[in-house]
Amino acid sequence: MRLLAALFVVLFANAAWADCPLDLGRGTGWVIFSDHYMIAFRPEPMQMEVGQPFSLLFNVCTKSNSPAELLAVDAQMPEHRHGMNYRPTIVAGTDGRYRVDGLVFHMPGRWELSIDVRAGEESERLTHDFILK
Amino acid sequence: MAQELLDWSADEVRAIGRHGPWPPSPVRDPSNRVSGTPAGIVLGEHLFNDPRVSANGRMSCATCHQAGRDWSDGRAKGFGTVELDRRTPSLWNVGHAHWFGWDGAGDSLWAQAIRPILDPREMGGSAARVGRLVRNDKLLACGYERAFGTRAGDDDERLLVDSAKALAAFQATLVSPRTRFDAFRDALVTGDRAAAARYPLPEQRGLRLFIGVGNCDTCHFGPRFTNGEFGDIGIAFFVRPGEVDSGRLGGLARLASSPFNLLGRYNDDASGASAQRTRHVQRLHANFGEFRVPSLRQVGRAAAYMHDGSLATLEEVVGHYSGVDPDRLHSDGTPLVRPLGLSPQERTDLVAFLRSLDVDPPPRPPPPPLCP
Repeated sequence: MRLLAALFVVLFANAAWADCPLDLGRGTGWVIFSDHYMIAFRPEPMQMEVGQPFSLLFNVCTKSNSPAELLAVDAQMPEHRHGMNYRPTIVAGTDGRYRVDGLVFHMPGRWELSIDVRAGEESERLTHDFILK
Repeated sequence: MAQELLDWSADEVRAIGRHGPWPPSPVRDPSNRVSGTPAGIVLGEHLFNDPRVSANGRMSCATCHQAGRDWSDGRAKGFGTVELDRRTPSLWNVGHAHWFGWDGAGDSLWAQAIRPILDPREMGGSAARVGRLVRNDKLLACGYERAFGTRAGDDDERLLVDSAKALAAFQATLVSPRTRFDAFRDALVTGDRAAAARYPLPEQRGLRLFIGVGNCDTCHFGPRFTNGEFGDIGIAFFVRPGEVDSGRLGGLARLASSPFNLLGRYNDDASGASAQRTRHVQRLHANFGEFRVPSLRQVGRAAAYMHDGSLATLEEVVGHYSGVDPDRLHSDGTPLVRPLGLSPQERTDLVAFLRSLDVDPPPRPPPPPLCP
């Protein structure tokens, strides 16, 4: 439902992103965007648990429809000023999607996911907050 | 006698609910092909109690991990052939952990079981000694064949690893019983106020501190009261003049160089999923002085405390957190551990709560015969 609502808002605001495939297979997830990028992602498994490894599946699109690359994914707990104890790895799929393995949120609380993307010479960091209880 | 029930908020009930249910479902370790198998467990229990594994023939796993002492030894610091620098951790609920040893140098329970066997300061054994024992002792050889489905061969290192996997299968069965806290937790979650009110008020107040201003459950998270990771809590890191225990920093170096880690050839999990943490864990400067967050189940029965046994009582532990010196923390960010400044009453309540995680375990029957 969140995905559909986000999709509606995004498409309404910018028809140039209409071709960006946001559904990553389960009909749910998150969509975040900036002036240049739109990123859809979802976790696998769908339920993220404290201390349990999980992966994120990404689709990265640009406003200009130019090819985009997922450079890095990391996460921090801003209130605690520490990151994860694990370094995720990125695997590019043949369908233009990315799979990021090896994430572990080892404490409850607010985690800020940082997503570094690039299209051509232009790179940008987008963020998204998770509250893990 | 009817007692009072604190007015628990929905957020507090949710936080308390995360510490259960207990006991958890049994786990099977995919990296260990005899994990959860009756024959593997029986072989492991016999090996656990067998002093012939050690070089001097006098020390078994059970010498330090004593059933009657909550699977520890009651000492401030472990003692093998010499006194060690760290406390002997309890084995309660160890099958549910994902890092092992105070520094996390083990990424599986079976890899961890190998370390004290080979360490000259502890059992001082060898792969050759274990191999000979399992091959040549009639009962152990029979137990091995039952557990692994093949006769014990000539590869000593393989037999050492398989013996450790049987040891791990046994240790994973050591699950602590339900406690007063578990009864309270379940009653609170299900809305049974009368049952919840049987939990004494000092314990309730201590629990409120634990999940509230104490912020203890950030690290002591979940049903085992640990997130299984590592923290720096301001314990002195000099073990002798000029010599430090670097904790997790050194543990990760040992993990990476171990031929028995989950990235190696002895992992029975062909999918590779069990090695995910090992593959992705990163060694950071902040790991210096970090030690594994211990489970708090049976904590009141496991004195002494901290990785180095430097605190003798639970009261001292709570006192440490109440007045911890932030300058002794090695963290370069906002420390998770900060002086709580607890009043005497609050300290007493927090200790009362922690003691509600203790329970007398039932008497342990002797191990079943290996090959009746």
